[in-house]
Amino acid sequence: MKKVVSEISGIVFSIPWLIAKDYGLFEEEGIDMQFVPAQGDRENRVTHNPDDVNPILGHVPYEQNMVSIYRA
Amino acid sequence: MVRPDSPHNYPGTLGNRPVAVSFHAAAHYVSLRLLEGYLPNEKIQLVSFGSPRRRFEAMLNGEADACVVMEPWISLGEKIGCKSLAEGHYLGAENASDDMDAETFAAINRAVSRAIDLFNADKRKHLHYMINAPDFAPVAAQYGGISPEDFHLPRLRYTKDTYYPPEIVEDTYNWMVRWGLLSASACTADLVQNRQAAPAPAD
Repeated sequence: MKKVVSEISGIVFSIPWLIAKDYGLFEEEGIDMQFVPAQGDRENRVTHNPDDVNPILGHVPYEQNMVSIYRA
Repeated sequence: MVRPDSPHNYPGTLGNRPVAVSFHAAAHYVSLRLLEGYLPNEKIQLVSFGSPRRRFEAMLNGEADACVVMEPWISLGEKIGCKSLAEGHYLGAENASDDMDAETFAAINRAVSRAIDLFNADKRKHLHYMINAPDFAPVAAQYGGISPEDFHLPRLRYTKDTYYPPEIVEDTYNWMVRWGLLSASACTADLVQNRQAAPAPAD
């Protein structure tokens, strides 16, 4: 089994991945899929200025090489 | 989406009114694509509130006239009487690190594709993933909960991984540059890697 760590973020993005995990579809492909939640530190500061918000948003685990794939 | 008692019934009245989004996320880009068809750019007033929950609550409590959210927040809003003024869809993308080999990426996509088949074969059966999502379920409970029957199933569009046509990449690139969301010095070839071969031309 090859271990892969994936970020899980918004549920609307994640459903196929959760199904694949729960139904053993990753395992059938030889993938030991592990999930790491996106860091819920998306800034909730109210702002009119896009420059106030880090475009990385909650995808910090990817930026820190904790996961090798994410979706958006 | 707007409150049940909102005077807004179509996007054209949202000029200079705060619309709750999350900057640099889908809600940001889709809102611009939807509103620019109704309003001059200078009248589009997007305000970043962050998470879907925060945007949804900002709409309900009047901090914003409208919010831009995805499922399952749309279905929850509709259940409590909120009005959808416009809907847009966009392409999702898998973003893999440089060190992921092609074989692993293909294996992942095969598994996900089979999961998509399962979902599409019986969407309601799998909506519990949305209904019970940790960031959503507590809010839905405040409004009486939500069930699979509350969802409009055609809105849920999961498709298998596919070739990303250069024309679409270019159109999106130009749109982002026009809105100042991407530096014009960026090169699409540096940003998008098609790991699937282009489809064969039709006869």
